[in-house]
Amino acid sequence: MPPPLNCATNTVPRVLLAALRRYPGALVRLAVWSVLEVLPLLLSGYGVAHALDDGFLAGRPGTGAAWLGVLAVAVLVGALATRHVYRILAEIVEPFRDDLVNNVVGGALQRSTVLGGRPDSGAVARLTHQVEVVRDNFAGLLLLTTGFVVSTVSAVIGMATLTGVVGLLVLPPLLVGLTVFLVSLRSMMTRQRDYVLTDEAVAESASTVAHSLRDVVACGAEDRACAQVQRQVDAHADAERTLARMTAVRTLSVAVGGWLPVVGLLVAAPWLLATGSTLGIIAGALVYLTQGLLPALKALVDGLGVGGMKLVVTLDRLVEAGERPVPQETAQRRVPQGHDLRLDGVTFSYGRHAEPVVDQVNLLIPQGQHLAMVGPSGAGKSTLAGLLAATHVPDRGVVRLGGVPVGDLSSHTLASHRVLIPQEAYVFAGTVGENLRYLHPAATGTELDTVVDALGLRSVVARLGGYDAVVDPGTLSAGERQLIAVARAHLTPAPVLILDEATCHLDPVAEERVERVLAARGGTLIVVAHRISSALRAQRIVLMDGANMLAGTHGELLANSPLYRDLVGLWDMGQGSMVRDTVVRETTGRSSL
Amino acid sequence: MNSDPAGASAGPHTSTWKQADRLLLTTGRHGGWWIWSLALAALLVASAEILLPTALGRTLDAVPGGGHITWALLACATLIAIMVAGKVISDIATGQSNARCTAWLRMTLVRHLVAIGPAAIRRFETGDLVTRVTRNASEAGQVGITAVMVGIGLLPPVGSVIALTLIDPWVGLTALAGLLAMAGLLRVFVRDNTETIRGYLHSQGLIAARLLDALSGTRTIAAAGSIERERRRILQPLPGLREHGMGMWRNQVRMTSQAAVIGPLLQLSVVGVAGFGVVAGRLSVGELYAASRYAVMAGGIGSAVGLLNKLSRARAGGRRAAEVLTEPVARYGDARLPDCSGKGGRLEFRGVRVSAAGDTVIDGLDLVVPAGATVAVVGRSGGGKSLLAALAGRLADPERGQVLLDGVPLPDLSQAELRGAVGFAFERPALVGHTIEDVINFGPGNPTAGKVRQAAASARADTFIERLPQGYRTELAAAPLSGGEMQRLGLARAFAHSYRVLILDDATSSLDTVTERQVGAVLAGGYRNQTRLIIAHRAATAARTDLVAWLDRGNLRGLRPHSELWRDPDYRALFGAEAVPAQPLGVPA
Repeated sequence: MPPPLNCATNTVPRVLLAALRRYPGALVRLAVWSVLEVLPLLLSGYGVAHALDDGFLAGRPGTGAAWLGVLAVAVLVGALATRHVYRILAEIVEPFRDDLVNNVVGGALQRSTVLGGRPDSGAVARLTHQVEVVRDNFAGLLLLTTGFVVSTVSAVIGMATLTGVVGLLVLPPLLVGLTVFLVSLRSMMTRQRDYVLTDEAVAESASTVAHSLRDVVACGAEDRACAQVQRQVDAHADAERTLARMTAVRTLSVAVGGWLPVVGLLVAAPWLLATGSTLGIIAGALVYLTQGLLPALKALVDGLGVGGMKLVVTLDRLVEAGERPVPQETAQRRVPQGHDLRLDGVTFSYGRHAEPVVDQVNLLIPQGQHLAMVGPSGAGKSTLAGLLAATHVPDRGVVRLGGVPVGDLSSHTLASHRVLIPQEAYVFAGTVGENLRYLHPAATGTELDTVVDALGLRSVVARLGGYDAVVDPGTLSAGERQLIAVARAHLTPAPVLILDEATCHLDPVAEERVERVLAARGGTLIVVAHRISSALRAQRIVLMDGANMLAGTHGELLANSPLYRDLVGLWDMGQGSMVRDTVVRETTGRSSL
Repeated sequence: MNSDPAGASAGPHTSTWKQADRLLLTTGRHGGWWIWSLALAALLVASAEILLPTALGRTLDAVPGGGHITWALLACATLIAIMVAGKVISDIATGQSNARCTAWLRMTLVRHLVAIGPAAIRRFETGDLVTRVTRNASEAGQVGITAVMVGIGLLPPVGSVIALTLIDPWVGLTALAGLLAMAGLLRVFVRDNTETIRGYLHSQGLIAARLLDALSGTRTIAAAGSIERERRRILQPLPGLREHGMGMWRNQVRMTSQAAVIGPLLQLSVVGVAGFGVVAGRLSVGELYAASRYAVMAGGIGSAVGLLNKLSRARAGGRRAAEVLTEPVARYGDARLPDCSGKGGRLEFRGVRVSAAGDTVIDGLDLVVPAGATVAVVGRSGGGKSLLAALAGRLADPERGQVLLDGVPLPDLSQAELRGAVGFAFERPALVGHTIEDVINFGPGNPTAGKVRQAAASARADTFIERLPQGYRTELAAAPLSGGEMQRLGLARAFAHSYRVLILDDATSSLDTVTERQVGAVLAGGYRNQTRLIIAHRAATAARTDLVAWLDRGNLRGLRPHSELWRDPDYRALFGAEAVPAQPLGVPA
């Protein structure tokens, strides 16, 4: 069930007010120009009444025309004001949209990069759809609220100047209409929220299908995939229908608040004439009602009921999914002394009730060591790598880099002392050079050349069109992406490199080359081994097997660990027993040799 | 017949406004009778609107005499009631129709997407596709209602000009002149705004694509502490967005302020001309009031600006939908496979040529995978191994040559036949389904719960699934999975269905050595009723197969057992480090 709309009552108005408060000057100008904008309205009934009573009805067409001329001037002033009102709106709304985009992007990055965070799949819908909804409706809300206030006030003032009594006719139905509308607002908000939530569900299901097209086709599960999207699409369509019914309520409140006064004025007309009003005055009052009050009320009710609701609900969602303020980094800016990595009694588990993945681990990795971590999948190798890289925070125990607990290091210091290369290599749509310099923007062209050649990336770089060519990450193979990520790490001066299965998509030759080059680079090299061959190249091996952890050289582990012997032995079987049992083979296959 | 691989000739942006409009027409039709209800209701509202000023005028005129005021009042009240009721009906009809049209267009897009298949991702960014299915489709889905409203919205202005002419020809002429001036403005606006909106949508798509990029590299970003840098990179197109946004405002300002002048001036001229009519005794005060209302109504053509704006958004959305829908889909034949009598399918590549990104990757490949055999495909990375796997199940079509299964060219097979016969397990499987169970039985047919569990056991996925809070019924979204776990679910999915041919595209790469060995044993052993094509990187994997297809420079260098190929140093070099002898075993006691 969706969480209650508690934020909507609180946060949304605050965000909107903050957006407005940023441009106090613009607001003042907006108010001034809005008042000028209704000048034609303010004068309309009055002008018409006088044009009739003093002019056309009195047989003085010149006077009538003159009054109309005054109104025409007011119209020109009003149009000029409209121009300014829209310009000012743009000045307020466009930066607000930019802020929203910024906040959505920041929030998505923030939530996806925290420990245990997952790529935020709703971010695109927020970016492309919800931000636009807010942008449009924020502008609309500003326009219509200023419009309603200014128009209603000027219509009432105008009518009062014509005849004081008429005001009494107008107010009761207007208030009744407004009350009906305001009472139904809450229910409208719920429906609007359903509408937004179902829309997000559509986006999410569509995104799942778009991301898994290959698998959907390969599984022949087109119908099933479509059925999944269909469910969400149908739910959203239902929400849209329900929402439409709420519109009827609004139409009725406009009928009561806007049209009843008109009928009332007409019913009272004979009495008004009898008490001294002229025909011109009644016509003028009618102008105020039908041209001033009615349109303004309609705009307000429709605007608030549709746009305002959309704005509140959508902005509430955006704020909820937006960026959270980051606590200030620890004041103590400590610097590691040397680069020994040390784990003392480190325990870590995913979630409170989960079994610890890493339990009471003590480990010292001296500066400059080439260490491999091996073990069955799920043994916690990546977790240990994350703890060493300080992207994971231990539940108990301390990780120290150069004697300083990693929690006391600023993220900048951390980034300059250790580099973590994860399995999923990140290549973005920028130039090749930008991708390579990602972790060390100061790298020179010569440095780039050296690293690219050493890692065997030259042909890839050439194919992409050199360092200045823009990469489309989709055109790179997983292995090529990993090579780029490795090169990027190699270019940094960071004394500790942590490879978390960072070469799993490379063929063994390329993998060996990578590890050789990185080992020759100097500094600490920690490799979470994807293939056992990585272990053989390391000076020291950490074997992880569930809760147990064993560290030693290849020889020591061979001597002490049955699991390690098993791992190495299994690998060795790749050379030994190759011939499988008999199978009927067709000869055509072999003849193509 | 399928020598032209799906869409090789068509670019992504070949759709035209004409195609978009045709799509919009079809979309609008899905509003069904709600559109007609809306049209009828809106028509009633428009008629009542047209009649109301006259009724109001009559009432005014009746006031001094006190004669027919009751009847005139009653007429006003009735007209107002009709307007309100009609408005209520059209509100509901609008929601109904928009809901239907949007739902239809969205599903049409999604069905077309899956029919295009993986090729769609080569043409469009996924984020961009999602935008097309969500936002653009919903804008385009409003086309029916908007078109009707634009049409009927013209009635009150036109009707009011007629009414003005009936009241007084001079007044009518005055109004007509004003209207013509307005119409000229509108035409310019629609053209300008459509282009601006397209530019705006484009900038937006750029930002979305960059964000999606970054979301795929969150661990790198987290470790590098480069969130700020990523933010700047993603937001680089933001000034462009602002610029197009300001363009939209500029159009709006021009249009609105012009409307704010022309409408009221039109009304004032009408009142002026009518005033002279009153002086001359041709018109009553009621008629003058009615004329002034009609003049406002005639100026209401300006309010159609909003609708036209919406219509141009619907067109832009329709065009973006049409761009997807004009992409060619994969075609299937209707042939069926001969009975393979339970020993797996025989896969044959004949003179197959494929290229990727302009380079020929596989050139003139001939290869026969015998029925029931387990064949490894090895070669350098980037050597076309995955492409070969894709060809074997028509996830891609060759430019030249043929791929046959049990003697039948793959394109001749019906979709159901092909997908029931050839299954895949991928290196990075995309898992689809609500629960873990759904994920595993995802595919042709509906494997029983027993088969799902058996498949999970074969893929060594059973233990971690059982540890999840609700086992097989755990929601996928609630189960954080490692790469190895995802791979095992992908394998389980492939094992849960009975395919003639199973293709494993590096599908065990994220498994640890022990698990890989266990899964490998399942693949190598068991029943021989399935042909298996295994894209392999490890010697151990190749060693467990019957035959190894060695791809080298786009062609087959050998198809022999691993043990025979092993003598070739070039072959051993493929596995690099794995071929280097370890320190002698048996050192320890």
